[in-house]
Amino acid sequence: MTKIIEADHLTKIYKGKVKAVDDISFAVDEGEIFGFLGPNGAGKTTTIKMLDTLATITSGKAFVAGHDVHREPGAVRDSIGVVPQELTADDELSGMENIVLAANLHHVQGSEARRRSAELLKLVDLEDAAGRKVRTFSGGMRRRLQLAMGLVHMPKVLFLDEPTLGLDIQTRKKMWDYIGRLNKERGLTVFMTTHYLEEADSLCNRIAIIDKGVIKLSGSPAELKQKLGGDILTLELAETPVDLTEFFKGIPDVSDVTRTGQVYRIKLPRTEKALPIIVEGVVRKNIEIKEISFTKPTLDQVFLEITGKSMRDEDASESDSVFQNFIMERATS
Amino acid sequence: MIAETMALTFRALKKWIRNPAAVLPGLFTSIFYLALFGSSFNPANLIPSGFSSTQISQTFGGAPTYITYLTAGVICLILVFNMAFGGIDLVLDRQLGFLNTVLTAPIPRAAIFFSGVAQNLVKVMFLAFLTFLIALVIPNGLVLPAGFGVLNLIGVFGSFALLGLGLSCVFTALALSVRSIDSLVAIVNFLTLPLIFMSDALFPSSSFPDWLKTIANVNPITKADEAARLLIVNGNLTSSQLSTFANDVLYLVGVVAILTIIGYFAAEKALSAQ
Repeated sequence: MTKIIEADHLTKIYKGKVKAVDDISFAVDEGEIFGFLGPNGAGKTTTIKMLDTLATITSGKAFVAGHDVHREPGAVRDSIGVVPQELTADDELSGMENIVLAANLHHVQGSEARRRSAELLKLVDLEDAAGRKVRTFSGGMRRRLQLAMGLVHMPKVLFLDEPTLGLDIQTRKKMWDYIGRLNKERGLTVFMTTHYLEEADSLCNRIAIIDKGVIKLSGSPAELKQKLGGDILTLELAETPVDLTEFFKGIPDVSDVTRTGQVYRIKLPRTEKALPIIVEGVVRKNIEIKEISFTKPTLDQVFLEITGKSMRDEDASESDSVFQNFIMERATS
Repeated sequence: MIAETMALTFRALKKWIRNPAAVLPGLFTSIFYLALFGSSFNPANLIPSGFSSTQISQTFGGAPTYITYLTAGVICLILVFNMAFGGIDLVLDRQLGFLNTVLTAPIPRAAIFFSGVAQNLVKVMFLAFLTFLIALVIPNGLVLPAGFGVLNLIGVFGSFALLGLGLSCVFTALALSVRSIDSLVAIVNFLTLPLIFMSDALFPSSSFPDWLKTIANVNPITKADEAARLLIVNGNLTSSQLSTFANDVLYLVGVVAILTIIGYFAAEKALSAQ
């Protein structure tokens, strides 16, 4: 398989002080959907900015579509489409005018620009709104328009930075459908960052989890979940001074135990054997079980395991930021 | 590069045409300066005995009324202020992410700079023309000499266009270099008023102290003002007036060339990857 994106020991330090990306290496195969997951400030957008030539590379090398990002930025820009997380389509222009402008900026002119624009507007179900000013569009329509704008010059690689941010679940799923179809029908390589783990799980062939500028883990969603080491039992006990961590760790077939207050997260490679022993042990110690739940590994758990934070916490903290509110406001208007 | 420059310029002009209200602030400035400032500060009324029309004409380079003198200055003022604040659209393009979208397209950075220059120039020259028309229609306003023709009009607006081009290069590069509207407004406020007051836009520089006169004489606003005013006041020029006009235009061409180069390199630097 041809590598269409290659990052080799990439590092980005802003103003000589802030290390946003720290010596990361990865490769993306042609025709694959590659997901970049990480908490806020993990270095996802900075990585995209280095790959799409918006940010300089402090050290390391990167190649996109066979071109050195540092030495041949023009050739890289010719080969890529970029859909940023900001809603950048012009409010005062119509959907068609926005997409034709994007075509013109990629050397596609005249009737060819209009033909491709019309075709893409149809693809993202916006043909009826083609003549309307974008300020009348809903958030989902704006996102779909931006997706079309990123494709009008038929790029080899499409960078999507949080493509479904601020969208409701229905619209989000529609976007996944478009992205999936583009990948399957046109063989488009997609490099995307997302906050939605189910999005990464359902769309991406491979995923890398980045935290504090470092890639912690990468692989297919199935591989990553497998690396969790089994199912997870969450056990909430009544208030007790007794710490059961060591007790649980001593049970065969328990691979790991973490405790937060009275809540224990117990990793079980073979649930059917360990579960009765755990429950029986707690009952024998006369400790009341307040809640017990059992889950198959999910990407959210992988994320929690790697970064120490749940993606839901990330969503909550991000929604507090002024910038995020601004994005949401435009997306939902 | 021309196709991309035109695409970006047309985008900005389409937005401008679809929002006629955007022209109003500039238009009000013209009306206020000509109708209010021009009338209330009419130097002919400054002393109780008043100036004779000959004295007014001598003081204001042959202009029969103060507003005839003032019109070229107000147009220069309109050029300076609207060029300066026209950069706000470019700062918004950066803040809203549009600029990044353009920067990831395979176009020369110069296309972004030159489209900024072109769009500002078109918008502000339109305002300049409206200001000229307002000066003509207000009571006791602009009095054009007999025989003032199309060539004179081209000469007048050619001078303004040269000044506008130079200013647009400076303010476009500035707008592409700053990251916030606050920074742009602070710098613009610091630059624009001295530029206007250190020229003969509002009053003849002959009345200035020597140090100010020296600065005013090299100020491109004075040169554009002088060139345009020569035609507005005299219509057909004498050979010595023609020589002054030609010198002013050549000076402006030189200034435009220098400012284009400076603006281009400043914009290239501002638009390079960080």
